[in-house]
Formats: sequence, structure tokens, C-alpha cells
Amino acid sequence: MGWKDTAEPVLTRMPTVQRPEGHVPFKRKLGWTAGVLVLYFFLTNVYLFGLGGGQGGDVFGQFRSILAGGQGTILQLGIGPIVTASIVLQLLGGADLLGLDTQNNPRDQVLYQGLQKFLVIVMICLTGLPMVFAGSFLPASDALAVTFPGGTFGVKWLMFAQIFVGGVLILYMDEVISKWGVGSGIGLFIIAGVSQRLIGGLVSTSFIGNPQEIGIIPYWIGIVTGEVDVGPILGSGFQTLIFGQGQILALITTVMIFVVVVYAESVRVEIPLSNTRVKGARGRFPVKLIYASVLPMILVRALQANIQFLGRILNAQLGSMPAWLGVYQQSSGGVANPVGGLFYYMAPVRNPAQWMWWLGETSNAPWQIVTRVGVDLTFMVIGGAIFAIFWVETTDMGPEATAKQIHNSGMEIPGFRRNVSVIEKVLERYIPQVTVIGGALVGLLAVLANMMGTIGDVSGTGLLLTVSITYKIYEEIAEEQLMEMHPMMRQMFG
Amino acid sequence: MSSSDSGGLMSSAGLVRYFDAEDRNAIRIDPKTVIAFGALFGFLVLVLRATV
Repeated sequence: MGWKDTAEPVLTRMPTVQRPEGHVPFKRKLGWTAGVLVLYFFLTNVYLFGLGGGQGGDVFGQFRSILAGGQGTILQLGIGPIVTASIVLQLLGGADLLGLDTQNNPRDQVLYQGLQKFLVIVMICLTGLPMVFAGSFLPASDALAVTFPGGTFGVKWLMFAQIFVGGVLILYMDEVISKWGVGSGIGLFIIAGVSQRLIGGLVSTSFIGNPQEIGIIPYWIGIVTGEVDVGPILGSGFQTLIFGQGQILALITTVMIFVVVVYAESVRVEIPLSNTRVKGARGRFPVKLIYASVLPMILVRALQANIQFLGRILNAQLGSMPAWLGVYQQSSGGVANPVGGLFYYMAPVRNPAQWMWWLGETSNAPWQIVTRVGVDLTFMVIGGAIFAIFWVETTDMGPEATAKQIHNSGMEIPGFRRNVSVIEKVLERYIPQVTVIGGALVGLLAVLANMMGTIGDVSGTGLLLTVSITYKIYEEIAEEQLMEMHPMMRQMFG
Repeated sequence: MSSSDSGGLMSSAGLVRYFDAEDRNAIRIDPKTVIAFGALFGFLVLVLRATV
């Protein structure tokens, strides 16, 4: 009981966004969601005051697509701190170290909410400080440092202050959407970032962006009109079309992921329910294949992202690391990527060029590549399963909590005794197994999608998250509209 | 909608969870304040950048 009493005065006073009183009309909800989205896009385009030229590449590297935000902007941190804080909470909650009963006890609910916010703020500092002060990820402007009190050091603190405000803003924008809008802010920011990249990967042309990153549609128009020469179709041209800039493989993978996720969303075990009082009122409790949703996957990826972040910081600080730990190579974009050592094996494979050794785009030996893919697969499949279990436990979706909810809503499983523990026994036959299978499957899918490559380099996880979050939002909107049309339904849903 | 009771039962929120319970001591912020502050902060940084 110790920590609760000590922390209570701080945690209960964390500022929260007001709750709407009564029902928010659907149009208003859309309004709030659109407003926050516009603000988000605006802030990802506002670069930090005091930021100098010659940036050392994105700190988040390949993880930027799932962590949202933008390098060098106010939203430098994106949803990184929220995700990292969530990992800590999931681990603490999953191991039942917190001792908080979030299902029944209102005081514990308040404490949990406060603890969440507090942890996010701690993580903003823990990830923001090294980003500003270590390495050259956010170099201070020399012109400003001359006149600014405190010189370069002062400018760096000023940049950290802006990043800090940006991180806190993301947290509160999420809260506004969760309480007043549709879905959750975090989901929305992920979709926003990934969709932007997807569109970019489809249509960007050489005069808008990087000539190396021509979108798939302009590239193929170029081939048809004869502007682009891919070489002999039976030789190197074939390789370029499938794996290279032709992106045929990436297109197939992207479409496949869409199909698989939407299909997997509909695969479920349905447990029949009937009302104890109203005879004939029947329902079904669905245990979906992706019961824990795809969100736990972001936790595993964030864990990997933090390991790579540590590697980049160490590399930038030490200059040269021991070879067993990590060997880094500057890429053309100025980003240091690991090419050997422990950090190489811990880095997830992102596109075909990184593992298809026969294409000659990687200098690593096949055994090294196989080890790296093996580590990534193990990490994602086992990590996915573990975090799915924790997720189900901490969000009160486990057998015990669900049984209570079903019982309290006056439902029973026909043919079984009317008892919480009986419902729990039946649910225990399905929920844990489905959770583990679903979590491992999503992990496997993410790795496979990454290996095959995706349009716009959005990464398998980014794509999985986007499709499943969009599907959830679609369901929520459908439900919302149903209630608007039939006000009676609202009473039934509660 | 597969069944009439799944809406209330499945509580898979986002990464951050918000409950109905709130402490009386907590500072409450109007959602408009959050958006207004974000927009003003963005503009402030833009203006500051333009001065250098």
C-alpha cells in the first residue's frame, strides 16, 4: 500500500482534459478529430527555434513511421514517450506489481491515470535530453548561440524546452480525441504519418521530393513513355522492376497486408450468450483472432527502437565502439546505420535490399543476415505473444474481468450454471490461446511484410497498425451512426 | 455489429487509458484550450524562427 499513499497527492492532481457532459453529437466528434489532426500536421511542419544546419539524420531512423512526429520539429518525440511509458506500465501491470484494481476501484483508476501521465513526462525527459545533448541529432544554430545567453548550451536547453512542450501537447491532444473525438489520438497520429508516406510512395515525383524516391506510379509512367530505362528485361531490368524501384514486390506485399488484416479481423470464436431475465434475448461474445488488437506490436517495435536509439547515441558519443558491440556506417542520407556487431543483429530487417544478399546491396555475409532475421523473428513472435498477454490483462480483457462484465450485464452462457466462475472457466478455454496465437501471428506478419518491403517504406508494423486502426475507427463510426439514427439504441448500449 | 452487447464489453482503448473516475483535486482543462495553446505555440516558434 506504501507507494499509493505517498504518490497520491501528486498523481491525483495531474491536469486532465474535461469530460464532455452528456452525449457529443457525431458531427462535433468529427470536428474535434479534424481539428486535432490539422494541429498535428501544422506542428510537424514547425521546426525548432535554434536548430542549426547539418543535422545528423533522424534519431528514430526506420522507426519514424510508427512513432509519428517529425525530425527537427516541435513534435520531434512523436508518440515515442507515450509508447515507452506504456511499455513500463504494461510490464508492471502484467506482473501485477502495481496492485491497482482498475476495474472496480475508482481511486485506483484515478491513480492509474495519474501514473500514466507522470511516466510519459518522465519518458519525455529521458528520451528528449539525450536527443538534444548527445550526438549531433539536433545541432544548435551557431548564429543564435553567439547572441543567446549561455551560448550553445543555452540554445540546446531552449530546444529541449520546445521538444518538451511538443511531447506534452501530443499527450493532451490524444486525451482530447479520446474524450471528445473518434478513436484515440495515438491511433490517428500513426495513421496520419503512415498514410502520408503511402501516398508519397505512390505518387511523389522527382521535382517534389528526393529523385531517388520516385513514387511507383510516376516511375511506371516513366517506363511506359520511355523516360526511364530499366535495362534488359531478362537481366538487371527484371531485378529493378521486382525488388528495386519498380516495386512490384512491395505493391503485392502492401495489398496482401490489407487483405490479411481485414480478413483476420473477422476471424473469431463466438461464445453464445442469453439474457437471464428476458427469454429469447440472445447475443454472442466474440473472441477475435486478433483479440489483443495490433497495438501490442508497437510496444515490441518501440523496444527495438529504443535499443537502436541507444546504439546511435553510444556511437555518436564514443566515436568508435568495440566491434562486437556495433560497427556503424554513414549512409548517403547522413544516417549512421549498424553494419556489424550486436546492434546490427538487434536491428530489424526493413526492406529486401537488407537481406537479399544475391542482389549485392548488402556487404554482410549470408550467415550474418540469417542470424539477424532469426533474432528479429524471435523478438517479434515471442515479444508479440508476451505483450499481447500483458495487454489483455492490463486492459481488463482477460477471462476473469470479461466474465465479470458478462455476468454484470445480466447475461449467461446457455447450458451452463449462472455463475461468474463458470463463465470464466468457459472463457479460459479460448481467450489465452487466441491471444497468444493472434500476437505471434501479427509479429510474424510484420516481419514478413518488412522483408518483402512496403510502398513508401512504411514498414510492416506501420501498415498493420494503420489497417487495423482504420478498421476499428470504421467500426466505431458505424456504431456511432447507428446510435444517432436510433436514439433508443443508446440506452441499450449504455 | 455482430452482437448487441459487444460494444459495452470490449474495452480495447488506445495506448493511454482514461476512466470515468476523476479526482476532485485535479486541474481540468477545456479541450479548446489545448488546441488554442498548441496553435499559438506553433505560431510563436514560427515567428521566433523568422526573426533569426
